[in-house]
Amino acid sequence: MLDNYKKKYHKHNFQYILIDDYGNVIESDDTLFFIKRHCKIQNIHPFFEILENLNIIKNECFEFSCIHIEFKTNTFITDITIYSEKSNENLIVIEDLTKHYNNYQLTAQTRNESIINSQVLELKNEYLLEKEAFKNNFIANFSHQLRNPITASIIFSELLIDSDLSSDQKNYINIIKSANRDLKNRIEDVLDLSKIESGKLILVDKVFSLEELLNELIEAYKHLITKKNLEFNYILDPKLPEYLNGDSYRLKQIVGNLLDNAIKFTKKGSINLSVSLNYERANKANIQIAVSDTGIGIHPENHELIFVRFKKFPSVIENNNGIGLGLSIVRYLVLKMNGNINVESEVNGGSKFTCNISFKLTRYNKSLKNKLVEDLKGNLASKQSILLVENAELIQLSVLKIIANEGGFYLNIITNGNDVVPHIINHNVDLILLSNTIEGFSAMDITTSIRNLSKEYRKTPIVVISSEVFKEDLKRFKQAGANAILPKPFDKKSLLEKIYKYVK
Amino acid sequence: MITSKKIVLIGHFGVGKTSLIRRFVENTFSEDYKVTIGVHISKKTIEISDNKTSVSLVIWDLEGQDDIKKTRTSYLLGTHGFIYVFDLSRPETFKNLKSELSFLSENYKNIPVKVVGNKVDLVNKAYLTQHTGTFKPLVEFFVSAKTGSRVESLFSKLARELF
Repeated sequence: MLDNYKKKYHKHNFQYILIDDYGNVIESDDTLFFIKRHCKIQNIHPFFEILENLNIIKNECFEFSCIHIEFKTNTFITDITIYSEKSNENLIVIEDLTKHYNNYQLTAQTRNESIINSQVLELKNEYLLEKEAFKNNFIANFSHQLRNPITASIIFSELLIDSDLSSDQKNYINIIKSANRDLKNRIEDVLDLSKIESGKLILVDKVFSLEELLNELIEAYKHLITKKNLEFNYILDPKLPEYLNGDSYRLKQIVGNLLDNAIKFTKKGSINLSVSLNYERANKANIQIAVSDTGIGIHPENHELIFVRFKKFPSVIENNNGIGLGLSIVRYLVLKMNGNINVESEVNGGSKFTCNISFKLTRYNKSLKNKLVEDLKGNLASKQSILLVENAELIQLSVLKIIANEGGFYLNIITNGNDVVPHIINHNVDLILLSNTIEGFSAMDITTSIRNLSKEYRKTPIVVISSEVFKEDLKRFKQAGANAILPKPFDKKSLLEKIYKYVK
Repeated sequence: MITSKKIVLIGHFGVGKTSLIRRFVENTFSEDYKVTIGVHISKKTIEISDNKTSVSLVIWDLEGQDDIKKTRTSYLLGTHGFIYVFDLSRPETFKNLKSELSFLSENYKNIPVKVVGNKVDLVNKAYLTQHTGTFKPLVEFFVSAKTGSRVESLFSKLARELF
């Protein structure tokens, strides 16, 4: 009875083949495919060539799973077992598992594709990150390379303007000064962009005088705006706190960029600056800065685009030659300060940019006031000796000219880092101006070796002239023992401030 | 009588083992990726020009594994030569190259292994230079199943060494 059921339900997916020790087919039940008797099994499919390499030991069996056997137009995915039964009789059992393996194939296909895709995505991501890092490094390095010539250009135009010039010549120098200022600002913008993209833009928290900051800005922009025959109106809320805690440099950059933008796009009419106190709460002051103009205005659909970096639309391109970074940086800075910015504007109806930013309140402290160069000057009793360690000729010449014009100093210049320590030991040095771009030498190493000298030499003040402007670089210089950093490009005033502050 | 030699292609999945064989045996190529499960066996007879004799290469295309130790040993019985394939454009497939090759040389002594970087058409010279430390002196062939570059020479060289 059982045999009947077995016959009925037996799965016809097995083929049994009997071969001799030479691979000749003795018998086959041909369930899956027909095999000619007495032919070589190796001729049926190359898989069976394995028999020539298997030293078949009697009563042994060899199992092979998931073997693809193509026979005429059919392909079977099979498990094959080879049994060596007795002398000259070997049994091959082929089990057709095509359906089962095809299901497995689908699963494997999905799994492998997903793994490969994630690996490819990871690679693409790495590539993009590398590309981004390369771009940021390139921008930073390139900006640094421009600092020496700009410094020289700023300083020499300042020196020239103080010399005996005709009014035409003075006008020309003023144009050069203004171009230098623009160039410097653009380099700062590009550098800021690389800092933003590399996540290195960090805000400093320092007490500053809001009054001084706004007055400086107003003084600087009054000249620029009136030169363009525009009216400049400014309103400073008397309730504004005098001192705040925050990043004054970035606040100045925000207001400066907004004013620059207004000047660029206004041909006639006025530019207005209003700074007011929104509220004081929880030891914080919320300040509103509004810059409005009577310029070309912005189409409502472009209100968002103006904050996108490098984005310029036709009316903008016609009216200025900027690179489209200023407003994107302003927005980034305002948001970074947890503030907000909005624009109201209509085509030919002018624009108004309004920012609201909170700063920590601080108590008034007289010692915070920066001393002026003139105040510092009074302290000098005798001629002081300055050592400049720099191999960029433009910077050497710029410092030399400023110091020569100023009087009261001896200047020695060293271009080789190895000569610094012997010079300090053998000469009287009151201040070292140390460039961080001396070929083959690190300003940090030089600073460290000076600080490791005996007591009488190691206290010499060191001001590092640096094109590295990232916060961590500045921190490293300070940690190495530098007294101050003078960032490039610098002008006459900032150089003299540092000199007078640190000479005895 | 033509001598038969069993050649086994091994390596990670998706490195192009099947495509290399298809290029060598049928001179065709498809961009579509179809996962190999188990083993596909093909055969091609080539003439070894040096001594004007023919050799029949029985080529076993094994299912890709991310670890060579997972390969079923039954597939490797009677192997005369290995071709270890990796994908030049996916570092994941050659990051363990040294240890995988050590495993082969320890367990299958005296069986020649050709190490092959496939998909050379997808990478540039700078990339190859960048990975020289990993590739040299292990990798003998940089090939492309897609363009056919150096595929024929790979199999011919191995066949000559086996004969």
